[in-house]
Amino acid sequence: MLTLYFRESDGGFVHGTQSVVLRVVAPLQNGTARATKPFRDAWNWTGDLFSAKSENAKLRKELEQLRAGIAKELTTQDENAQMRAILALQRDRIYPDGVRLVTARVVARSATAWYSTVKIDVGSESGVEVYDAVVNGAGLVGRVTKVDADAAQVTLITDQQSFVDAMVQPGGAQGIISGSVTGDVTLQYVDKNERVKVGQYVVTSGRQGSVFVRGIPVGQIESVGNQDVELYQSISLDPFVDFRKLDLVQVVVR
Amino acid sequence: MRLTRTPADDQQREWPSGGVIARLVVTLVVATLLQTTVAPNIRILGANPDFALIIVVCVALLMGSEIGAVFGFLTGTLVAIALMEPLGLSAFVFVLVGFLAGRYAETADLSAGYAPLVSAFAATLLANVLLAMAQYLLERQVPLGFFLSRVLVPSLILNTLLAAPLYLVVRLWLRGAGDLRVARAR
Repeated sequence: MLTLYFRESDGGFVHGTQSVVLRVVAPLQNGTARATKPFRDAWNWTGDLFSAKSENAKLRKELEQLRAGIAKELTTQDENAQMRAILALQRDRIYPDGVRLVTARVVARSATAWYSTVKIDVGSESGVEVYDAVVNGAGLVGRVTKVDADAAQVTLITDQQSFVDAMVQPGGAQGIISGSVTGDVTLQYVDKNERVKVGQYVVTSGRQGSVFVRGIPVGQIESVGNQDVELYQSISLDPFVDFRKLDLVQVVVR
Repeated sequence: MRLTRTPADDQQREWPSGGVIARLVVTLVVATLLQTTVAPNIRILGANPDFALIIVVCVALLMGSEIGAVFGFLTGTLVAIALMEPLGLSAFVFVLVGFLAGRYAETADLSAGYAPLVSAFAATLLANVLLAMAQYLLERQVPLGFFLSRVLVPSLILNTLLAAPLYLVVRLWLRGAGDLRVARAR
């Protein structure tokens, strides 16, 4: 079955069977996801409560650091204002004319460490196609990798086979955002001559041929490494999206 | 544990009644829904519980190797369909797990309370190693340190701990409360 699946086309027997069974299973999953949402929320709330205590100490320390750095903050206020203006501009004009946002609910997700994928409850009947970008209020979630009539699989940007062309703002340094099996997200292939700093925003670049429209927020630069033996900078990102709590998302249909 | 069948095994084979099959179908659907909608949201010790795997082990322990293997195949296939993942991989792993757990039940003494725990531990080990090998063959990253510390060890602990309550629930569902009372009287 495994051999058949990988060898046959998307319209083959095994894919067809999968599609038929999926139509039966999808409503059940949708119902279960809705029914268990209060329990999931309670679970997340309990988890957050436990982490709040340790977070409190961490936040106190951060507050001290912030007080010490307030003078420095004032001097960089102008720069921040520019960054905010750029970000606001991008948020206002992210999606070009002709782009439609289809709201979807996450009904299932892979529980293994090897795949970072979720299943949403909209598909080709809503106009969703493979390679469509998926976003939520925080930023880029991933892209559609498989589509059925009323369901679609979304590969998250944390997946090890996810690659997104992106740029750093401000500055415009270009690179490729890549996921990993550990769930860490990195910005690769950024030239060493580009000046990239911790805290800068990273958005999709939307270059010609890209599957993503320009300017979708992805994350913030967490650390920048620059080793002599490496050709490119080593940049890690902190994604804006909290992938543990994905519920409602929007598919960017072009 | 003997992997081959003997004539005595064949004589002892009893196919389940319609009622048991109906209960197995319900178990199959519940296992799939638990695995695809509940398990991803529960994270303990850094790992997600593998409800489908544990339920396959429980069914195999209670119903034997043949039903265990068939149930494993169907569970693996349905989970892959529900997640739109490549078909065949989980089915292959779960067939092996179902068959081996069933053979363990047919050839070993299951009166010891730790039998479900041992089976779940062994099944998790086997399933995770096979899935990691499959990932390697599919040219995906499989860092050994990550696999051991973030996948294998947490899953072994979590699935083994969950095996006892799930075994009890599946046993109650498939055999009824009377079976438990008989076991306690022994």
